[in-house]
Amino acid sequence: VADNAARQAALATHADAAQISVDLPLRANLSVQENIAIGLQYHSALSAAAAHARAFQLLQRATLAECASLRDPDLSSEQRFAAKFLRALALAPSALVIDRPALLLPDVPYAHWLPAFLSVFPPLPPCYLVDYVWNQPLWDQT
Amino acid sequence: MFISQLGRWGLQRFSAWLGASRLAARALVEATSPRFYANSATRSVVAKQIYFTAWQILPEFTLFAALLSWVLIEIVVNTARAFGLSDYALEMTVRVLVMELIPLLTAFFVALRSGAAINTEVALMHIHNELTALEHNGVDPMRFELIPRIIGSSVSVLALTAVSISVALMMAFVLVYGLQPGALADFAQVMARVFAPLTVLGLWLKVFLFGLAVAVIPISAGISVPKKLFFAPISVLQGMVRLFFFLMLVEVGSLALRYI
Repeated sequence: VADNAARQAALATHADAAQISVDLPLRANLSVQENIAIGLQYHSALSAAAAHARAFQLLQRATLAECASLRDPDLSSEQRFAAKFLRALALAPSALVIDRPALLLPDVPYAHWLPAFLSVFPPLPPCYLVDYVWNQPLWDQT
Repeated sequence: MFISQLGRWGLQRFSAWLGASRLAARALVEATSPRFYANSATRSVVAKQIYFTAWQILPEFTLFAALLSWVLIEIVVNTARAFGLSDYALEMTVRVLVMELIPLLTAFFVALRSGAAINTEVALMHIHNELTALEHNGVDPMRFELIPRIIGSSVSVLALTAVSISVALMMAFVLVYGLQPGALADFAQVMARVFAPLTVLGLWLKVFLFGLAVAVIPISAGISVPKKLFFAPISVLQGMVRLFFFLMLVEVGSLALRYI
């Protein structure tokens, strides 16, 4: 997208999609596993134990089981992104929107890192990336 | 100019109290509905809140209540004796300590310990968009984060007041009559005189209002703050001042109703 107005418009066209964004943080006083599990407990009416087990399975799949008990301030940017992604994915959304990956993943070459990360989760729902045009060269390299 | 400023000031105060009243009404409706407890996530948050705000502090607060009761009862009993009013010592003690001081001090204690923390946490959650993120994830923040805190604080004030009153009554008996089981009939007579059914109802209504207020007013201040970090301490300041005035208003109102 060219600017913030275009970004807002792009997000509005996918208003039903689950967003992964810096504007939607994890609950700071819950662990990564709890952050993923509460959505499951609410949506699927799972018991606490079943929701936590499902959340742990997802973390294992992303090879992030070691950060299950960590809270937001103790996470690296990749771990935080993964936690937000799994929180959204756990609810089986119709689509996913990754909003401004440069803000979500400031310390990694995200244009390479993201496709590798997403490849662990087939089959994924339609996944949209909202990024600014000036980051286009990063995507051209992949 | 002055009138418009006064009007703005009045409107801000009115909307703050209106917001708190709405929150209290919703909390009452939700907390008394079995549907609210159907979800396992809500149940576990309610249990956690009751543990942190009531159970965790029970031993220390009971000890404090016992110490305070002992000192105040000794003062009242000795003063009454000095003035030849020993017959009224127990009744005076119960009216001042059990009916007024213990409920008010308990509410202040829970407000300082949990109310201030709740105000800060909710303000930060609101400013950092964590409540919006929960909503985006299909989790109702009111049911998952806010109402469980109101339930926890209400249970805390009710439970700590009940325990402290029981301790104070036991100490009053021992300090006035000594360890004489034969004096139980006299003690029961005084209690029956003080604790008329309407008085007991009024006492627990007051305690219930205290319990509701120590979480509702701080939460309402926390969620109505502008989403800027430097407003967090202002939100706590406003919440605590409003809470102080509300608690005092209820206390003074209940005293006026009973004695004037």
